[in-house]
Amino acid sequence: MKPTVVKRDLVEDYAIDEGVKKLTPERIEKVVNDVIDNETAGRLWTYLNTCIHCGLCAEACQWYISNDRDVSYAPVTKVKDTIWPMIEKKGKVDAEFIKRAAVISFTECSVCRRCGMYCPFGIDIAYMLLMVRRICARLDMVPLYLQDTVHSHAATMNQMWVKPDEWIDTLQWQEEEAQGYVPTSRIPLEKEGAEIMYSVIGPEPKFLAQLLGNISVIMKVADQDWTMPAYAGWDNSNMAMYSGDFEVMARVERLHHETAQRLKVKKIVMGECGHAFRGAEYDGPTWLGWMSPPIPLIHAIEFYEELLRTGRIKIAKKIEGPVTVQDPCNVVRNRGLGDKLRYIMNAVCEDFVDVSPNKRFNYCCNAGGGVINCGPPWKKKRVEGNRIKAEQLKRTGAHTVVTPCHNCHSGIEDIVDTFKLGMHVKFFSELLIEAMDIPANLKA
Amino acid sequence: MVNIQKWDWNTKEKMVADTTGWPNQFEDVQEPYVSPDGEKIASIVKQGEGEYSVCVNGETWEEPFEKLWSCRFTPDGRVSVMSSRDMEWTMTVDGEPWETAYEYIWDPKFSADGKLIVATVKQDDIFGIVTNGTTWECPTELQSISSFVMTPDAQTVAAIAQTVPLGQADVDTYYKGTWSIVVNGKPWENNYVNLYGVAVSDDGSTVAAEHRAAITDHTILVNGVPWSEMYSCTWEPMFHPKKNDEVTAPVRQGGKWYLATNGRIVWDRGYVNILNPRYNVDGTKIAAVVATSFAKWTVAVDDKPWSCTFGECVLPPCFDSQGVTAVAIARDSGKWFMVADGKVIGDPCDNIWPPVFSPDGDKMFYKIEKNGKFYIAVNGKIATGAYDMLWDPILSTNGADVLIRGIEDGKYYRRVVASAAM
Ligand code: SF4
Ligand code: SF4
Ligand code: SF4
Repeated sequence: MKPTVVKRDLVEDYAIDEGVKKLTPERIEKVVNDVIDNETAGRLWTYLNTCIHCGLCAEACQWYISNDRDVSYAPVTKVKDTIWPMIEKKGKVDAEFIKRAAVISFTECSVCRRCGMYCPFGIDIAYMLLMVRRICARLDMVPLYLQDTVHSHAATMNQMWVKPDEWIDTLQWQEEEAQGYVPTSRIPLEKEGAEIMYSVIGPEPKFLAQLLGNISVIMKVADQDWTMPAYAGWDNSNMAMYSGDFEVMARVERLHHETAQRLKVKKIVMGECGHAFRGAEYDGPTWLGWMSPPIPLIHAIEFYEELLRTGRIKIAKKIEGPVTVQDPCNVVRNRGLGDKLRYIMNAVCEDFVDVSPNKRFNYCCNAGGGVINCGPPWKKKRVEGNRIKAEQLKRTGAHTVVTPCHNCHSGIEDIVDTFKLGMHVKFFSELLIEAMDIPANLKA
Repeated sequence: MVNIQKWDWNTKEKMVADTTGWPNQFEDVQEPYVSPDGEKIASIVKQGEGEYSVCVNGETWEEPFEKLWSCRFTPDGRVSVMSSRDMEWTMTVDGEPWETAYEYIWDPKFSADGKLIVATVKQDDIFGIVTNGTTWECPTELQSISSFVMTPDAQTVAAIAQTVPLGQADVDTYYKGTWSIVVNGKPWENNYVNLYGVAVSDDGSTVAAEHRAAITDHTILVNGVPWSEMYSCTWEPMFHPKKNDEVTAPVRQGGKWYLATNGRIVWDRGYVNILNPRYNVDGTKIAAVVATSFAKWTVAVDDKPWSCTFGECVLPPCFDSQGVTAVAIARDSGKWFMVADGKVIGDPCDNIWPPVFSPDGDKMFYKIEKNGKFYIAVNGKIATGAYDMLWDPILSTNGADVLIRGIEDGKYYRRVVASAAM
């Protein structure tokens, strides 16, 4: 096989650069073979044996298109340059090879699964790249910021090093803020037997606390019986799933689901996040032996759709002007919530302008799959590697793009800034708060 | 332990409080809690902006607080709540705040007799454990406390605590170990990468925890000494009820889960998962939740799985008071089932709470939910009328009577029913 021509700016990443020095041929061989032999599913072999190297998947990948169709970014190249040689050479690859494999799998693929839809055989390239990440994780070759996030999960059971007191304190502060709009707003903590446990991702209490105030108002107006955990288990996010640290992934998911069991709720409603849904609905339960979450889980899009459709929340004044949307891969491509997302957008916006391509076929934001969590060193490549997203959003002429996913939100913000799109980036709940009717008896 | 024989087991029915009017009396009324003896019902109430109190049987405390949360009864029937005034927090019991206030206080736990309240506190950015207003003395400035456990008498408290400060994205310090176990203020000698699932023996002599040294290197530490084996993953250890030197935990090897005692595999069948093992009273049996294959959940007793399996999940098992029958609550197709020794008992429910057993172990009493109403069931049969809210049943010491605490149409009742009649 001809080696791929790779042109990249040099990026320094302390964990990768130091990690590569500690690799030995024996260690690499042992870990690669152990993962391939004992941790992969049969489908890996099916994929490897089925792929005819036709390259049809390339046109699906935002990295490839945005980088002027540079073949080194094509999905099949990412496999050809990582897991194929590992298997072919039975783990006898060198440290520099592992370094390149880490860079490809963590920083040049958002495991968005768009390419799988363009492959005539439906080959899931993202799965293979996740196995590459697993190998890299076991070789301590995870980009610094992503690894630090996983350390936070492992130490605190949340993504952002939020300490136990900060969590409760933030909820109480946001409860007070919410009472400024609706005096009886509450964030009920540890209310056993409530209908709903609401869970969020670590960045909400850390950077976006107002979202917690918003949900408290929304829950009050919609008259929902809900609770939030006061203790660890409140965070539904899971970067360990993306770093390849499946043991920490499972521990985090177990705690989250056992918290719902402990509180004896009927369902979990989770905030606007895509990867967290994937971790809590699919990857976490599967590792633990659950078919699906033991207490059913729904994403915020499904929850808001239900509240709006049943009239539990009424709209007082729709948002004016053109507003568009980003489809988070993990809940739209992989869960099929595209139509519900459009239902709520239309319910709240006067002029919802759809993107093209849309729904399952929408382009990834390029921030997901842990890519944005690789941090500042890798930001330039990530943002420039999604020029087509910028062009797509620009075509809508919208003043605001709604992103019902935290990673999409940050990723799209970077795209809006870099490509000077002059758009606001908002969560759906921020629009809902602006547009919804607050009944007179609840008002301050 | 609280001497429950001293409670009133003679009055058959008492309407303790009518809460119907409470919402008109206050700006907001939070969910109620009731005392173990059933004599009191309490809710946090909002009296005005930044003015909160607790309403107990219709009476509020004299002085309001700026904020209150976590209203819970102690086992001896006092109302505890975390309270704030002038931006400081403390524990308030029956309206009386502790003398000392803190930056923050959370996670209260009670000794079995209810006399001691233990909680986590933060003061000047240092974390600690407080018992009845006295914070433990610890030579290390603790950066965080992730969880703690204690003996039933609350004389020994063991916490997983961060002992070394950690800068942003400082992976090198992290790998050197920044966490330890602190027992009554005394940290273990070493620091560790990650610690989970701390447990303490009933006599307080021994503390165990999971240690994760690296991505697939896990083991169990007992008083700081690791088991000789490493595993790719572990779950939390538990102590034998009678022997403080017998520690058991689920461990993962080669993609399967086993149960190990003191580092030796004792359940060797190998499962997709093993969760929440529990000993019976004398430690002669162990029951655990297991997945025999993907999405087939059941309970195994001494490594023998029940033949029935459930598609969704099984909650932590328990044994009856004689330690013979294993019981668990299981979920399948969106419904909950009570299961004893592998047999489904009674109809499916919308929710089921853990049972209490008669002294001879023959009868179990538990709260269930059906169509939005709550009942007490006995061995699968509904044995009470419908309640809007209901708490777990409590048996008198000799098992002759059952105390039922529940709300019907806003009225809170305390009822005593002969267990033979249920
Ligand atoms: S980024 Fe998406 S489309 Fe591109 S290779 Fe990865 S999974 Fe495929
Ligand atoms: S489209 Fe499918 S078969 Fe063709 S190169 Fe891509 S993965 Fe292989
Ligand atoms: S961040 Fe958003 S768009 Fe990107 S992979 Fe996740 S869900 Fe997809």
